[in-house]
Amino acid sequence: MTKGQERKKQPKKALKKTGRVLKPELSYKVEVTDKDGRVIQREEGPSRSYVRQWNEIFQLQAGAVASGGVVKDTSGATQTGAYRSSRSFHCDAGIGYDRTGLRVGKDSTPVSISDYALGSPLAEGASIDQVEHQLTYFTGPLVVGSTLSFTIQRSMVNHSGTPISGVQEIGAYIEFTAAMYGRVALGFRDVLGSPFSIPDGGAITVTYTLKVTA
Amino acid sequence: MRNEGLWYSVTVRDRHGKVVSRERRKSRSMLGNWYRLLYAQMSFLSCSLVGTNGMDRGATWNQDNWKFQASANEDYIGIVVGTGTTAVTIDDYKLNTQIMHGTGSGQLRHLICTPGTPSVAGSNCDFLTSRVFLNNSGGSITMRESGIYSRCKGPTYYSYACIVRDVFGTPQAVPDGGSITIDYTLRVTA
Repeated sequence: MTKGQERKKQPKKALKKTGRVLKPELSYKVEVTDKDGRVIQREEGPSRSYVRQWNEIFQLQAGAVASGGVVKDTSGATQTGAYRSSRSFHCDAGIGYDRTGLRVGKDSTPVSISDYALGSPLAEGASIDQVEHQLTYFTGPLVVGSTLSFTIQRSMVNHSGTPISGVQEIGAYIEFTAAMYGRVALGFRDVLGSPFSIPDGGAITVTYTLKVTA
Repeated sequence: MRNEGLWYSVTVRDRHGKVVSRERRKSRSMLGNWYRLLYAQMSFLSCSLVGTNGMDRGATWNQDNWKFQASANEDYIGIVVGTGTTAVTIDDYKLNTQIMHGTGSGQLRHLICTPGTPSVAGSNCDFLTSRVFLNNSGGSITMRESGIYSRCKGPTYYSYACIVRDVFGTPQAVPDGGSITIDYTLRVTA
């Protein structure tokens, strides 16, 4: 056996006990169903995109900020009087409510850290390019083995009378507080690999999974 | 694609302020409790959460969740340090062996812990939190773990949750009269 072969045969240096890394992950799944509930288009993958408001709202909480926090809302207005609140990150949106919760849109511009809204979000309704937003639904948190995860899911139904094509962005609108309750910011946004088309009577369902693994 | 991450750095100085040791690496642990608080805030629902006292007092939405701004002398909130070496697990609810505030043997003086303002550079948004610990115990103290304790609210009681824990790659000995600075940086990347 040559020295080179001996070196190859030597066991790898064992990882120290401290070598275990907990991985925080955000991932998404998008499904489009037709009016009969059959899945006709699907995509899933890792999310690319918390945006700056996520950390800014987190800082309001961590720093117990009582006033003067700065967060840009989904209208593009910079709120300079933001503060910690029980509503920070809240996105438990009800039926027909499109100010918060998971949203979809038609813009395909790549995600930037300074995005403050979806590029072209679909509004609530049953007219052209509108969808009916269902409940934003949560599961978990569950520990399975060495993973803790929970999911956020929302379906949006197309009753506009025609297909809605070119749906290519998804994201989460989350609450924060500045001057009054109910300000809304973009928390994360993803651009899909290919455009989705929602047939009339069909629906698009977006599921985000937040996970940390030991 | 990793789009959220936590880094820590450890800097040890002697009594003259000279840096004697430094470590910087990816944090090994946003713990399960971090995500339990996130779930409670996002969903407006409650969930189970074991606090640093070992009791499950749950988590629900509240303005105090994640607060880890701490005053000097407070060793139950903010960045904390310890001597334990047990490997991190997802359900850790406290440091293995925490070093308490004080000037007695094996104790450290805890200074303030103030989360900074997020800053954007390129496609990153960073958020830094630091704390300095002074060793006036009369002897050297060797640290092997650090973490973050945050305030949290359950359906009935307030408590404190361990949301981050790391075991250092190299033990950090702080000489008498010296200090150790722990920096945690939360980064999101688009």
